[in-house]
Amino acid sequence: MTLQNLTSPFRKGIFMEQTYVLLVLILAISVVATIVNPRFVNPQNIINIFQQIAILGIVASGVGMLLVSGHIDISVGSQISLLGVTFAMLVQRILGLPEGNVEPWRQALVYPIAIAITFGGGTLIGFINGMTVVKSRANSFIISLGFSTAYHGLALLVTGGASYMLFGRFETLGRGRVFHYIPISIFFFIGVVLLSHIILKYFRYGRFLYAIGSNRRATHVSGINTDRVVIQAYTIVGILNALAAIILISRVGSALATTGDQYSLDALASIIVGGVSLSGGKGGALNIFLGVVLIGLISNALIIMNVNPYARDFVIGLVIILAVALGQLSERQ
Amino acid sequence: MVNNDYILQMRKISKSYPGVRALDAVSLEITRGEVHALVGQNGAGKSTLVEIIAGSLHPDSGEIIYEGKSYTHFEPWQAINLGIQAVHQESQLVEDLTVAENIYLYDLPVGRGNIIDYTGCWSMGRELMGDLKINIAPDKKVRELSFVDKKLVNIAKTFSRPIKLLILDEPTASLDEQGKDILFELIRRWQANGLSIIYISHNIGEIFEVCDSVTILKDGKKVATHKVSDITIDDVILEMIGSTQATLYVREKKRPFEKNKGVLEIQNYSRRELIHDVSFQVREGEIFGLAGLVGSGRTELARMIFGLDLKNSGRLLYKGQDITPMSPYDAIQKGVGYLPEDRKVDGLLLSRPVVENITIVSLAKNSRLLLNLTEERREALSLIKQLEIKTPSLFQLVMNLSGGNQQKVVLAKWLLAAANILIFDEPTVGVDVGAKVEIYHLMESLVHQGKMIILISSDNPELVALCDRVGIMWNGSLVATLEGDNLTEANILRYAMGVNDSMEVRK
Repeated sequence: MTLQNLTSPFRKGIFMEQTYVLLVLILAISVVATIVNPRFVNPQNIINIFQQIAILGIVASGVGMLLVSGHIDISVGSQISLLGVTFAMLVQRILGLPEGNVEPWRQALVYPIAIAITFGGGTLIGFINGMTVVKSRANSFIISLGFSTAYHGLALLVTGGASYMLFGRFETLGRGRVFHYIPISIFFFIGVVLLSHIILKYFRYGRFLYAIGSNRRATHVSGINTDRVVIQAYTIVGILNALAAIILISRVGSALATTGDQYSLDALASIIVGGVSLSGGKGGALNIFLGVVLIGLISNALIIMNVNPYARDFVIGLVIILAVALGQLSERQ
Repeated sequence: MVNNDYILQMRKISKSYPGVRALDAVSLEITRGEVHALVGQNGAGKSTLVEIIAGSLHPDSGEIIYEGKSYTHFEPWQAINLGIQAVHQESQLVEDLTVAENIYLYDLPVGRGNIIDYTGCWSMGRELMGDLKINIAPDKKVRELSFVDKKLVNIAKTFSRPIKLLILDEPTASLDEQGKDILFELIRRWQANGLSIIYISHNIGEIFEVCDSVTILKDGKKVATHKVSDITIDDVILEMIGSTQATLYVREKKRPFEKNKGVLEIQNYSRRELIHDVSFQVREGEIFGLAGLVGSGRTELARMIFGLDLKNSGRLLYKGQDITPMSPYDAIQKGVGYLPEDRKVDGLLLSRPVVENITIVSLAKNSRLLLNLTEERREALSLIKQLEIKTPSLFQLVMNLSGGNQQKVVLAKWLLAAANILIFDEPTVGVDVGAKVEIYHLMESLVHQGKMIILISSDNPELVALCDRVGIMWNGSLVATLEGDNLTEANILRYAMGVNDSMEVRK
């Protein structure tokens, strides 16, 4: 019994191996960007790119694991917005405006309370999304589309359309750098990516996600409580969104009802470009990471090459279409 | 020679698929105005023959003579234009349209501006229903109709165009007695008006009620055609089985069983309208067969026992202890395994590698959080060797394996999980002969180790060859259990077709 795969000829293989495709694309974009503007390869710029994609990476890791099980959550953007305004509102309510005097207990407890409530909210949102999808047996795309609008509405209700400012408080998480060089958020990003890689590859739970994505009924017959696994995956998404929201608000310094909206599309784009099939059962955390890098790279390269910034969404849209179309082609072969 | 008494003559029709000779020089003659039954076991070639008549399949060779003209084959539209139409088992209706719209769907009457003329459509429908003596309002939505009425609308639809030869495929499936009476009454009336009907049914009793002649097919060959008045139910059953074929495999059955062995008791399993109070026992080291027609409730029963589907009542006892599974997880913990009827739907993770498919049940059974990749590869490899699964690698995707090897992968996952009560639902369907025999050997060695197997199969010779005892399901009930010398194909078939003593008396 040999362990090598005897069935993939090279031509087909190059399409199947999403990792190579991504690496080649990343390299190509980097080369072009460097030729146009040599500052692109400046270490500081590379670090900037990673800081810019850190939050996206955290969100995409959660949604990616969920998508491996064949379920989707397109409400992540408005979840982050809602959790972000919740966090900022709590901080402002507890500490008041910057001029006022703050009692010491408030100063001491504000962040533990705000962080705990935000994480609690993320957990609850994820759990509700998962329960609804599983119990209704409806298409998760449609359900999460509904939730997306509902959470957006809730965020508007909380803010009344205005923004909550942090007034320079709680900056370290989003803006701070270790040794004045590496942004703190990058450590969270890399940590979450590694964690999701380990879960998908070495944990029983990850195996169940792939199994459900491949064939939910057969997985159920094999004795796995598929409903519970899926609800847990949605809950993980909610928890990671809470983390993303806190880092995002810390970096931006204020929260609007729309602050996190872009993450729905960007996360989905990175995951699909990273080779997770929309029907589930395929993909890996490291490819999702490369997908995130690619999306971040495209945004950065366009800026550094002095392209009109409004072209970004247009280009990313084309990249998604290209990735999905190529994925379909390789599946049909 | 062209004979005008016949509406249709099929001459030496053959049709082959890769590896299967579906029809082998079959000839069939349908007289004008007769109801002609077509019977045979699964795979006898009934469907292929009917599809050739309706034009959806082309024969490899042979001649079709229809109303005195010779054809090599029909196209579907051609068959319809010639007055040949088939009513299939499944409804062909659009549920949200009215009865009349469904009937005239191919050519709805239109008025000015190409707008559908509903009034005209309904009155045409009313007229047709009147001619056919079917009492259904033409403007009613199909969704609101009863099961029988839907069946009748399906049939009525064929009369919207001139029709001379009607093919009915299992028309009474899921109909109750009253529905059957309505249908038979209509068939007789239409027949009196000169319509010829080809009638396919698994229920032999019905054939003696409503048909004039019967053609028996077996393994793609015609056995004989008889006038129904000349023969008995037993004759038909014997001809369907044919002379004893060379069996692939015969298990050496040990009897009597040792005393004090564990007994599995299936007690009072019921589910409203599907399964009616089924009870039987299986002893350790025994293969217990479940025979019956498709739709007799075998698979539903198996899924209930495994805790997969809801039930109204039923207990599973092992050595006197209640082990009734509440879910597949619970079943696995209690040592029950289920090899599902359709491996692609309920058995396999087609887009995942062989190794993950083999170990999935064990992963569900044990509560370890972390995977042990080395250990799992070792386990999977040992099962691949034990079952001789042909795969280039542990990481081959299951979708790339052959049917037989896929089935062995499903078997492997239950063996690895050490299930000792195994329910096998059609384990040899779509499996090549070599793998079939290997699966038989495997089942024998499993019961040798003291495991017990409930084997559901539509392949009656397989049941006779392998099982210690065979229970026969009919319409959701266990109607008989056969063993020893009574365990013959003829007896299985007799019970599976709902033939009972009272029926023979009536005949």
